[in-house]
Amino acid sequence: MAELSVIGASHRTAPVEVREGLAMAPDQVARILAAMHAEKTFDEALVVSTCNRTEIYFVPRAADDPLGYFLGHVARVKGARPAAGADIFYRHDDADAVRHLFRVAASLDSQIVGEHEILGQIKQAYRLAVEAHTTSALLNKLMHWAFRVGKRVRSETDLGAGSASVAAAAVDLARHIFSSLEGKTVLLVGAGQTAETAARALLAAGADRLIVANRTLYRAQQLAYDLAHETIGRPATDRAATDRAATARERPGREPVADAVGLEAIPEAIARASLVITATDAEEPVLTWPNLSDVLRTRRSPLLIIDIAVPRDVDERLGRLDNVYLSNIDDLSRLVERNLGRRRLEVPKAEAIVACEVADFGRWLASRQAAPTIRLLQKHLAVIRKKQIERYGKQFSQADRAQLEQFTQSVCKQILHSPLAMLKQLAADGTPSERLAAVDLVRRLFDLDAIDDEPPAEPPSRPPAEPPS
Amino acid sequence: MADLLAIGNWVLPLLYLALLADYGATFFLRTRTGARSPWLVVAVAAHLAFLVLRGVHVGYPPVANAREIASILALATAGVYAWVELASRDRRTGVFVVLLAFLFQYTSSMLLAGRAAEPAEIAPGAVGMWARLHVVPALVAYTALAFAGVYGLLYLLEHRGLRRHRFGVLFDRLPPLEVLDPMAWHALLTGFVAMTVAIAAGPLLLRAEGGEMTAKVLSKIIAGSAAWVVCAVAVLGRWLGRWPASRTSAIAVVGFLVVMALLIVSGLLS
Repeated sequence: MAELSVIGASHRTAPVEVREGLAMAPDQVARILAAMHAEKTFDEALVVSTCNRTEIYFVPRAADDPLGYFLGHVARVKGARPAAGADIFYRHDDADAVRHLFRVAASLDSQIVGEHEILGQIKQAYRLAVEAHTTSALLNKLMHWAFRVGKRVRSETDLGAGSASVAAAAVDLARHIFSSLEGKTVLLVGAGQTAETAARALLAAGADRLIVANRTLYRAQQLAYDLAHETIGRPATDRAATDRAATARERPGREPVADAVGLEAIPEAIARASLVITATDAEEPVLTWPNLSDVLRTRRSPLLIIDIAVPRDVDERLGRLDNVYLSNIDDLSRLVERNLGRRRLEVPKAEAIVACEVADFGRWLASRQAAPTIRLLQKHLAVIRKKQIERYGKQFSQADRAQLEQFTQSVCKQILHSPLAMLKQLAADGTPSERLAAVDLVRRLFDLDAIDDEPPAEPPSRPPAEPPS
Repeated sequence: MADLLAIGNWVLPLLYLALLADYGATFFLRTRTGARSPWLVVAVAAHLAFLVLRGVHVGYPPVANAREIASILALATAGVYAWVELASRDRRTGVFVVLLAFLFQYTSSMLLAGRAAEPAEIAPGAVGMWARLHVVPALVAYTALAFAGVYGLLYLLEHRGLRRHRFGVLFDRLPPLEVLDPMAWHALLTGFVAMTVAIAAGPLLLRAEGGEMTAKVLSKIIAGSAAWVVCAVAVLGRWLGRWPASRTSAIAVVGFLVVMALLIVSGLLS
C-alpha cells in the first residue's frame, strides 16, 4: 500500500462545468475534514479546493475506494453528487504524489503558469487540515516542504514575473506611471465584466477612489457600491436601506470613495481621475476628441487610459496628448503574451528545482524508515558504550574488564529493548504516519540526526506543525 | 603619503567599477531594488578621504584643473546619488549614475597616473575666495545637469515605451514616471540656481585675478552659459509654459550632451 497518495481533478482533466461541481468553499472543506477525522478513514488527509482543482492528499488507512469515499463527502456538503466520471480523476502515489504537490505549489501545474494565488490556497488548505486535526508527521513535513519549494521557485526563477491577465497588465502599466496607486482615482466607463475585473485589480493594488460612469445610472450606482464594498472593505451599511444615491460610499471628512455618474459627466470625472478603464458596448467612441481634448490638454499629471472595448471607446487622438497614456486591448494582450512567453522559458529551471526537492524529500523519508533508525540507534549506543569503557576501563583489572564489557552490553540491550520493539512493531503493523511519528520521536530523543552518516537534506523535523501564518 | 595617494588613485575607479557591477546586478537581475547600499557610502567616504589627503599633501584644494575637477565631479555625482537613494529608497537607477561617477573618476585617475602625489599645474584663478564661489557652484550645476540628463533619458525611454507599447527588457526595470520626473526636475532646478551663482561670480573672479579672456576661458564661459540656458529654458518652460515632463526631459538630455561636448572641447584647450 502506498504511504502517500493524491486523488484529484484539475483544469488539465476536467472542464469548468465539472470543476464547478467539485469546488468547495473553506467551510465545506472543513466539514469534510471533520467527518474524515471522526471516521478515521485516512491516517492523514488534506483537501485543496480552488476554481481550477479539487484534490485530496491522504495517507491511506482503511478506505478501499478513496475516490468514492471522497466524492461521497463532497456530495454531502454540496448537496448534490458532482457530475464527474472517474476518468477525469488522476491518482499519484508516493514520490509521484510528492512531485505533484511540489509542482502545484510551484505553480507549474496552474492554468496560468506562475500565478501567485496557488501557494496561498495551499496554505489555507493546510490550515484547515491542521484545525481539523487530520495532519500528522508526514503531511506536516510534506506541506512545509511544499511551501518552501513554492517560495524557492519564486525567488530563484522568473516563473511568476510580469502580468499574466488583462487585469494584471492594467495594474502593471499603472505601476510604470505612478509610484503608488494610493490616493489615485479610477474612472470606470461602462460596466462590463473585464472592465470590472480590471477596476477591482487596480483597487486591490491600492487605488482608493472609484467613479463608475454608465449610460444607466442605476447600474453604475450598483457597481460602484459593490466594488467599493468588496474592495475597499469598509463595513457595509444596511444594503437594503442604501438608496444607491450618486455617492455610493463616503469617508468622513474626505471625498467619496465611490461615485456613480452618467456618461455626460465624463469630462468632470476624468479631470479627477488618474486611471480610466473603458468597456462599453457603444458602436461609437465614448471618450471623444471634442468632449475631452480641452480637459486633457490642461492636465499637469499623467493619465492612464485603458480601452478594453471592441469597438474602441476612446478616440485615439486623445492618446497623443501630453500626459495621456492610452492602451487598448491588443496592447494589453501583447504585454500578457510576452510575459507568458517569458514564464514558459523559466519552466525547465523550475522543474529542475522541483526534481531536486522531490529527491531530497525522498532521502528524508528514507531516513525515517524503521530499519535504518534501528541500526543507527544500535550504533549510537555502541559508540557511547565504547567511549565510556575507554574512559573508565583502566580502573578495572583485566578480568573485571571482560565482565564490564558484558555488563555494559547488557545495559545497552535493556535500554534499547523497548524502543526497538516499538519500532519493529510499527514497521510491521503500524500506519506510515504512526511509524513516522515514532521514528521522529526516537531520532529526536537520541539526537540521531546529528550522528547520521547520511544526514537528511532537511534538518530534523520541526515540532508538531502549526498553521501557517 | 605619496604611495598611499598613488594607490588611492587606482583604488577609486576600481571601487566605482565594483559598485557598477553591484548596481548592474540590481538593475538586470532585479534583486535588492529597495535596499540601500552600504558600499556606496564607503566609496563616497573613501573618495572624500582621498581628496582631503591629496589637498593636504599638495597644499591646495584639488580643483585647480580639469583632471582634478573630474574627480570632484565623480564624488559629487556619487554623493548626490547616495542622498537621492537614501531619500527614495529605490536603487534601480543607480547603475546609470554610478556609471557616470566611474567614467569621471577613471578619466581623472588616468590623467593623474603616476602624478597623484604631485601638485598639478594650477589654472590661473583656480584658488581664492572668488574661485571657490565660482568653481563650487559650477561643479554642483554640472553634476545636477548630469543627473537631469540621466533621469531625463530614463523618463523618455519609459514614456516612449508606454506610448508605443514597446515593453522591452529595459522598460520592465525602470522605476515609474512619477519617480523619474521629480528627480530630473529637482536636478534641473538645482542646476539652474547653482549655475546662476557660478555665472554671477565668474566676472568677479576674472577681474580679481586679472585674468585674460583666453580661448580656454571663453570656452568655459560658453559651456557654463549653455548649461545655464538649458536649465533656464526647462525650468521656465515648465513653470510658465506648463510644459510636460517629456519636453523638459528631452531638453535636459540634449542640453547635457551639448554641455558635455563643450566641456570636452574646453578641456582640450586647457
